[in-house]
Amino acid sequence: MQKRSSYPLALLLLSPALLMVGLLFIYPLGYSLSYAFRNEKSATWDLSNFEKAFSLYGNDIVYTLVILVMATTLTGLFALAIGGYLTLGENKRAVSFLRWLYRWPLFIPMVVAGQLMRTFLAKNGMLNNALMSLGILDPINAMSMLDWRGVVITFVWKQLPFAALLISGAMASMDRSMIEAARNLGASRLRALVEIVIPQIKATLLVALILSFVTMLSALSVPMMIIAGSPTMITVDMAWRVNSYGDYGVANALGFISCAMSGVVAWFYLRHSVREQTATR
Amino acid sequence: MKTPLRIVALAVSAALSTASMSAHAQTTLTVLSGGSQNMVDYVTDYLGPLFEKQNAGVKVVVVGVGPDDAGSQKILEKLQAQKGAATWDVDVIVPNQQKTGEMANAGLLLKYRDSIATGKYAVSQSSKQALGVNVDGYVMPMFESQTAMAYNPDLVKSPPSSYDELRAFVTKNPKQFGYNGLKNGMSGVAFVVGWMYAYGGNATALQQGPYDAAGKASSGWNKAYADLKVFNQSVTFTPGNAGTLDMLNRGEIAMGPVWVDMFYTWKADGRLSPSLKLKLLSPGMPGQPYYYAIPAKAKNADLAKKFIALATSPAVQAEGIVKRFNWYPGIDANAVKPALDPKVWANLFTDISPADLAKNGKPFPIAPFFTDLREQYEKQVGN
Repeated sequence: MQKRSSYPLALLLLSPALLMVGLLFIYPLGYSLSYAFRNEKSATWDLSNFEKAFSLYGNDIVYTLVILVMATTLTGLFALAIGGYLTLGENKRAVSFLRWLYRWPLFIPMVVAGQLMRTFLAKNGMLNNALMSLGILDPINAMSMLDWRGVVITFVWKQLPFAALLISGAMASMDRSMIEAARNLGASRLRALVEIVIPQIKATLLVALILSFVTMLSALSVPMMIIAGSPTMITVDMAWRVNSYGDYGVANALGFISCAMSGVVAWFYLRHSVREQTATR
Repeated sequence: MKTPLRIVALAVSAALSTASMSAHAQTTLTVLSGGSQNMVDYVTDYLGPLFEKQNAGVKVVVVGVGPDDAGSQKILEKLQAQKGAATWDVDVIVPNQQKTGEMANAGLLLKYRDSIATGKYAVSQSSKQALGVNVDGYVMPMFESQTAMAYNPDLVKSPPSSYDELRAFVTKNPKQFGYNGLKNGMSGVAFVVGWMYAYGGNATALQQGPYDAAGKASSGWNKAYADLKVFNQSVTFTPGNAGTLDMLNRGEIAMGPVWVDMFYTWKADGRLSPSLKLKLLSPGMPGQPYYYAIPAKAKNADLAKKFIALATSPAVQAEGIVKRFNWYPGIDANAVKPALDPKVWANLFTDISPADLAKNGKPFPIAPFFTDLREQYEKQVGN
């Protein structure tokens, strides 16, 4: 009885927050997703925006996916390596140095990262100049890395500290007795990392990777600054459709596609967390 | 005792009232400029101060909205958003051809040309037609500009003079030619348009109409784009109009399409090696004007007319447009030439002679063809 009467009150108290979320988030999102199916010319609902999006930017969609999968995988690997060394490293000085160093890119905005990499990776950029002056690279063979490689490098560089922060945090809060037991029984550090540590922080790893994936999917500045010409990433195409043609239909369709990409990732995450919850019950 | 106090009070109130008076007298003329940064600089550094000097109490504020359709689209959207209001907060706009046509069609512009003294100097074809749309009376051309091939004579001994020769050059010297694709500024777009004029098979219709929706599916276009896709394999993509010039200057590419005015300005500023040269490819590369226009309900329309009259006067066109910023004049060249030192005039034609310009300087395609052409590039070459 009491429970039932407090229900409307709770709803009343919640309503301002719900209203805000609804008005400022759900409504515009739903609007732009549904208007991906709107054909403004004939004022009907159909798939013409998607047809156009695929016929103009099909390659870019695949390209985006490949770049993201690559960057996410590399971010995961490096973050595990950093986290692993912070947890299992034996040289105190090296560990504290790494701890101090790895977080730096966290405080650098995406657009600045793009700009940094643009001067760093250009044909006559810092990287090639350094290699040339060391005599490792012949000037004639120097090439610009301002294409998908540049984007992957920038993304990994930018997202790595974030992923490593989450992962090393999870590793630090683990019960160390198992690691110590494994080490006492003669397991190498690598084996301890792969067989003892990683299985225990799998959920955190997944969260870090999913959040990184979504962040990279939404970055406009990095591909815009680094990739000249095409193929490029779909965020750039969306900006182009809106800015040059005022064509919101195709831009919405591209947005729908990128939502679908992050949706797939989110589904994996949800499935995993549901399974874990039922397992603990 | 009383008197000094009274004097102080009087002085203070006098000071306050003059301060408030001058605040009232201050009118702000708002200019929205499309195009590259040099066009904004032109108003900030030269035209704005000149106008302020001649009109006490007026302040010229210029806002750059960026190059290409994307920039001018912002002007269009801003005017559309204010459509219902009694007065609009923009007095002078400087849009590109495509969007000027759209604005004229949407009734967003004021017909003012015949009410200013310099209106009679608007004699060029582009002052009447913007990519096939009638804009007669709504615009004064600010300048005419032209794209051309810039090359490094140290690396390219005998520069190609046509698209055919360029293709041969690129086959022999892969990655030495660079352009900025389709999304990074108009010099790249101009290169693609020139390519389609050369190989698309309907160059005259593209420039003069009539529009034919079947054009985009024609075998001429398909073949031209297929060839361009192959051609693109051996070129370097640059990050923009300025990016092409940068890469040329650093020797990363030997040749690339650029805007003639930017090229000369950069050279004059010492940002480009003085040895670089220009060449206009046959059968032709496009150029474009930018326009001065007044929004239909501009708050300070009369002041805006005065501003444009100054901007399109022979003296300003000579000193500002030609001498300082290296554009071709927007108004009748015969009116501008007497106002200039013959040497400065000759500088404008150092690499590209007036005869070349007349023969190979083309307009951009009419609007609907232009849209098709860009989209087909994205579909057939980019994708």
